[in-house]
Amino acid sequence: MALNTELVGKTYEPYTYEVAREKIREYASALGETDPRYVSDGDDCVAPPTFAACFTIIKGGAPLFADPELGAHWNLVHGSQRYEFGRSVRPGDVLTCTPRLADVQARGRNEFMTVEVDCRFADGERAVLSTATIVLLGSAPAEED
Amino acid sequence: MALEPGTQLTPVEVTASLQTSVAYAAASGDLNPLHFDQEFAGNVSPTGGIIAHGMYSMGLASRALTEAAGGPEQVESVEVRFTKPWPLGETASFGGEVTEVADGVAKVRLQGQLTDGTVVLRGTGMIRI
Repeated sequence: MALNTELVGKTYEPYTYEVAREKIREYASALGETDPRYVSDGDDCVAPPTFAACFTIIKGGAPLFADPELGAHWNLVHGSQRYEFGRSVRPGDVLTCTPRLADVQARGRNEFMTVEVDCRFADGERAVLSTATIVLLGSAPAEED
Repeated sequence: MALEPGTQLTPVEVTASLQTSVAYAAASGDLNPLHFDQEFAGNVSPTGGIIAHGMYSMGLASRALTEAAGGPEQVESVEVRFTKPWPLGETASFGGEVTEVADGVAKVRLQGQLTDGTVVLRGTGMIRI
């Protein structure tokens, strides 16, 4: 089934993500990071840039995949990813993240779905804008001659 | 590190394994079994085997970028395309080169490559200098 292109531009319900020091450590450790601030007990603790993956990829896509009007499916690959950063994320930050279906394009039998997630601190400043292109395999309508 | 056109990032080299994949799955919350379950991967993977998370490769490329930048505060943006799968057992090297410096921002071309030359990731990072 093809994606419903009428929903392009739709904004989904915001969700919150509370940044935990131990989660930053776990993420940094999985990447073999060596910057001591990622594992600091002090106020200098900060998250590596792609820590944003923890609150943008699965959580950001979930409301779109749950939207029966959209028709997204799980036969997919992650095509590309962009992060534009504001100020860095630290333990205790509470982020409000708003997903949006930014674009849908068919190429051959695949559909390219662009999902933006705008993540902001409590004061309204941007933490990160995530733009993911998800390639849904095989669901584009056959092209007409 | 002085960043000027032609400066090479210090590469980050990793062999993907079940351990690296499970650790990244848990850390990132992406529990797609394609990244740790051979039976599942055998049915859906483009290689017929388990492949690393695209976001793991982006994380490693971003690590090389952020180390050169001097910390996460200096990183303005990172964008990548996942060009080929990275099968477990394969070693990949993530690095890049400064291509431009203008208005206090260095543009860095990022690449992730397996030892056989297969390019698994291409991208661009912008860092403040």
